[in-house]
Amino acid sequence: MNHECHISSLVVHGRPDQMPSIVEGIGAIAGAEICGGAETGKLIVTLETDTEDQVVERINAIQLLDGVLAATLVFHHFEPVQDRE
Amino acid sequence: MDLTRRTVLKAQAAAAAAAAANVTLPASAQNILTGEDLQLQWSKAPCRFCGTGCGVMVGVKDGKVVATHGDMQAEVNRGLNCVKGYFLSKIMYGSDRLTQPLLRMKNGQFAKDGEFQPVSWDQAFDEMARQFKQVLKEKGPEAVGMFGSGQWTIWEGYAASKLMRAGFRTNNLDPNARHCMASAAVTFIRAFGMDEPMGCYDDFENADAFVLWGSNMAEMHPILWTRVTDRRLSHPHVRIMTLSTYEHRTTDLSDMALIFKPNSDLAIMNYIANYIIQTGAVNREFVEKHCNFRMANTDIGYGLRPDHVLEQRAQHANDAQISSPASFEDYAKLMSQYTVEKASELSGIPKERLEALAKLYADPKVKVMSLWTMGFNQHVRGVWANHMVYNLHLLTGKIAEPGNSPFSLTGQPSACGTAREVGTFSHRLPADMQVNNPEHRKHAEEIWRLPHGLLPEKVGYHAVQQDRMLKDGKLNAYWIMCNNNLQTAPNTNNETYPGYRNPANFVVVSDAYPTVTAMAADLILPAAMWVEKEGAYGNAERRTHFWHQLVNAPGEARSDLWQLVEFSKRFTTDEVWPAAILDANPGYKGKSLYDILFANGEVNKFPLSEIDSAYENREAKAFGFYVQKGLFEEYATFGRGHGHDLAPFEMYHQVRGLRWPVVDGKETLWRYREGLDPYVEKGSGLQFYGNPDKKANIMGAPYEPPAESPDAEYDLWLVTGRVLEHWHSGSMTLRVPELYKAFPGAVVFMHPDDAAKRNLRRGQEVRVVSRRGEIHSRIETRGRNSVPPGLIFVPFFDASQLINKVTLDATDPISKQTDFKKCAVKVVSAATADAGDVP
Amino acid sequence: MRRSVFLVLVSIVPCLAAGTILAQDAPRLRGPDPFTREIPAPPMQRQVTDDVRVRRNYPDQPPVIPHSIEGYAMDLNANKCMSCHARKFTEQSQAPMISVTHYQDRAGNTLGGLSPRRYVCVSCHVPQTTAKPLVENSFTDMDAMTEPERQPERRTR
Repeated sequence: MNHECHISSLVVHGRPDQMPSIVEGIGAIAGAEICGGAETGKLIVTLETDTEDQVVERINAIQLLDGVLAATLVFHHFEPVQDRE
Repeated sequence: MDLTRRTVLKAQAAAAAAAAANVTLPASAQNILTGEDLQLQWSKAPCRFCGTGCGVMVGVKDGKVVATHGDMQAEVNRGLNCVKGYFLSKIMYGSDRLTQPLLRMKNGQFAKDGEFQPVSWDQAFDEMARQFKQVLKEKGPEAVGMFGSGQWTIWEGYAASKLMRAGFRTNNLDPNARHCMASAAVTFIRAFGMDEPMGCYDDFENADAFVLWGSNMAEMHPILWTRVTDRRLSHPHVRIMTLSTYEHRTTDLSDMALIFKPNSDLAIMNYIANYIIQTGAVNREFVEKHCNFRMANTDIGYGLRPDHVLEQRAQHANDAQISSPASFEDYAKLMSQYTVEKASELSGIPKERLEALAKLYADPKVKVMSLWTMGFNQHVRGVWANHMVYNLHLLTGKIAEPGNSPFSLTGQPSACGTAREVGTFSHRLPADMQVNNPEHRKHAEEIWRLPHGLLPEKVGYHAVQQDRMLKDGKLNAYWIMCNNNLQTAPNTNNETYPGYRNPANFVVVSDAYPTVTAMAADLILPAAMWVEKEGAYGNAERRTHFWHQLVNAPGEARSDLWQLVEFSKRFTTDEVWPAAILDANPGYKGKSLYDILFANGEVNKFPLSEIDSAYENREAKAFGFYVQKGLFEEYATFGRGHGHDLAPFEMYHQVRGLRWPVVDGKETLWRYREGLDPYVEKGSGLQFYGNPDKKANIMGAPYEPPAESPDAEYDLWLVTGRVLEHWHSGSMTLRVPELYKAFPGAVVFMHPDDAAKRNLRRGQEVRVVSRRGEIHSRIETRGRNSVPPGLIFVPFFDASQLINKVTLDATDPISKQTDFKKCAVKVVSAATADAGDVP
Repeated sequence: MRRSVFLVLVSIVPCLAAGTILAQDAPRLRGPDPFTREIPAPPMQRQVTDDVRVRRNYPDQPPVIPHSIEGYAMDLNANKCMSCHARKFTEQSQAPMISVTHYQDRAGNTLGGLSPRRYVCVSCHVPQTTAKPLVENSFTDMDAMTEPERQPERRTR
């Protein structure tokens, strides 16, 4: 069975005073992982999804979080993957 | 996807985002599960290719470049690249990289007819110094010369200028930018007193109309084209009008394509000026306050050899650059000859289209951005053409404000930053100064700490003239750096090649790859490329941008900077300066040129400790000081306070470039406009402060025919140029498999009717023949270019189809830039003649 | 292992006397010998039109086009590429959809569809011919550095 794997990364600009709640909000999004940057107000987030639609949907979800000024997609790569079992 | 690959990709993704945001990630974010430290180091750099000057991020692992992507933070391109930019990571890795100096030898000695043998740098410079000293002694400074590059870094061009002018005391230094931007640069001075555009790329997001004059931006400035199409597709009122001698990808995406007969662009522009005058669209107030009128000398010849009949007949071949003051009425009278009927007849463009174009310029509410490159610059009346478009913007006052922008696009990545700003032309000093101006020379002597009277005043040989002087045996020691002139100069069979192989001459070529030019040299020096050295370029919108050394050059390859500075150690002032100067200034006696030019207290004043410890810097280590910073800061002295202000050196390593003049840390987007340009006096609104009276010059000039037009025998126009996938002569891009495979060989784009008339079919082998030479190629009647009947287009990237054997060495007599877009050829089937040696 | 491969490739000094490694393709890169000699034109190369996706050298590389684009409209009224590669058509066409990166405008905002700055596909995506590369290129992709044993054969045509 063929699936896809999409790997993306974003820079999320957020209001410094609302960083903690933004971090929590992103943590709740499936496939999203924060790699760093909280102290600068620019979060580096990687996103792992199965479809492109999910990428757009989750970027939108991040953009809608309270305190987020912008979520910019920097990197997007996808590949078809075979189930290896 | 297995875990390892997934983690590797995620680390890569995170690193890319972190680099884009200037955020340092904790090391844990970059480790992968196998424990191996995936430290992919990302650093910024400008793209190696065109004058657009996109920013890229370069990924280095284990001493190699493994990936690049468009830099999101770079204003120019915001993350986009064109296909060439996307393959930057491969350009340094062609397996035939030059790694050792190669000298033609027989029996262990240099011999002009010998085979290339590898030698050490010492041996190479020994022979080279011997040859240069001999020529200087026997024939003097006018017999040595250098052909440099708009792809040199800023400090390379600056070091070369010092070595040639202050070291060897010759002005025979010219860059390959002579073939590319000379007409533009000369016109800027004639019109505004200062070089380079007054606008910037921000004009793209502000214009209402784009008029492209002979510029195929879709292929040649693709990222700037994305800004044009972005503007056009997002704002339905915007119009793109493209003028060209044939249809191509840019005309395909334009609202209106105006296909004109070669050279008639001059008449079209004069018609538009006439239209503006006749319909009362002249911005009287602007013109009175800010413009002078002048009339150019006419009948100025074609820059051919002086004994050519066209030069003998021309009235003003020897004072082509002279113009005289005139009145608005004089100018209007000359323009009145250019009726829409005349323009339509000369150009072949229907009257309604010409009128639509004129209306755009005339309508005060339409912000017009005019764009041009080689269609105007590589033109026997290139200076007039450049000036005519400025006339249109000056008559209407549509200049030096967002969206209203006559924008001269630059071809090479640093034709502006290096060739023009540093002044590596045969008549120039840094910061727009001229060698034949005593005040300018004195100023340079002061900054360079030289004895008064040392710098030579005679303008040196320009590009085409250098080839002629080499052939005639008057130029005998010659160093070519960072260009492929034997492939890209005009009329190469008759001028350039005999010049390089003239037994009286010693020719040195510095390059990264064995090019056509290198194969004709006596000595080849292996050069470092791009991110193998710390560098700086200046792009078309006056943006100076820097990069660090990221990887090492292979083998013994060394940067052009290292070569120039190291070579200077081989000469002393006693050997190359006149005795009179040394007697008057005995403190300079017995010093090496290296001491005078580079260890002079200025260039060597920054210690190695100032280098960013995260990066290598081979040149600095070789000489023991931060040589790039020293050269840059000394060079910047010329321009700071004079409208050419550059920021402090370190700043450029931090940011994605800055547009000069940079005053108090702030870059200038639009020059000459009060409030936007710090040099404009308060209350004046607009000042063209490059000229003494702070006004711009409107220049009246007529239509004049090209040097060679099709006739009964040579019945086709030959236009040469580039294609998207290949940069210039292809020495880098042909070695990238994907780019090579995308467009592997040159072809002759020909109209199907022309092919049928000559019994030629698509793919058939043909000879393209002119009065000067011929090549073999193949017919292409389809594809990206649709030429009109009577015209063919051949790109020049293919070393096996050297189209410049066919072209004509006619130049604009004022700028000395070759016209590569107009000569007469015939095309016949290759089966009609022996494909053998051409005598 | 990869380092020594790299060093071997780099130390092949181009022996420019007789018998060069590159002899048969030398004129395509270094010109004819002698310069004045006229040589036959290289043959026109066939386009690759097998629709097989070619592995990218690194994630951000725009994939090459494995089909013919002759005659494809690219003007202000029509963008033929999008008739198969736009998301809404990919089920019928089975063509890969445009990457999400193509939805972003210059300011970084994600739009609902193709961003106008990405309109001219052929600035970045190029078709290929069957031409064999003139020289080897020793570029090493980052996967080869991390897992050299697992690299699939790079397809050469």
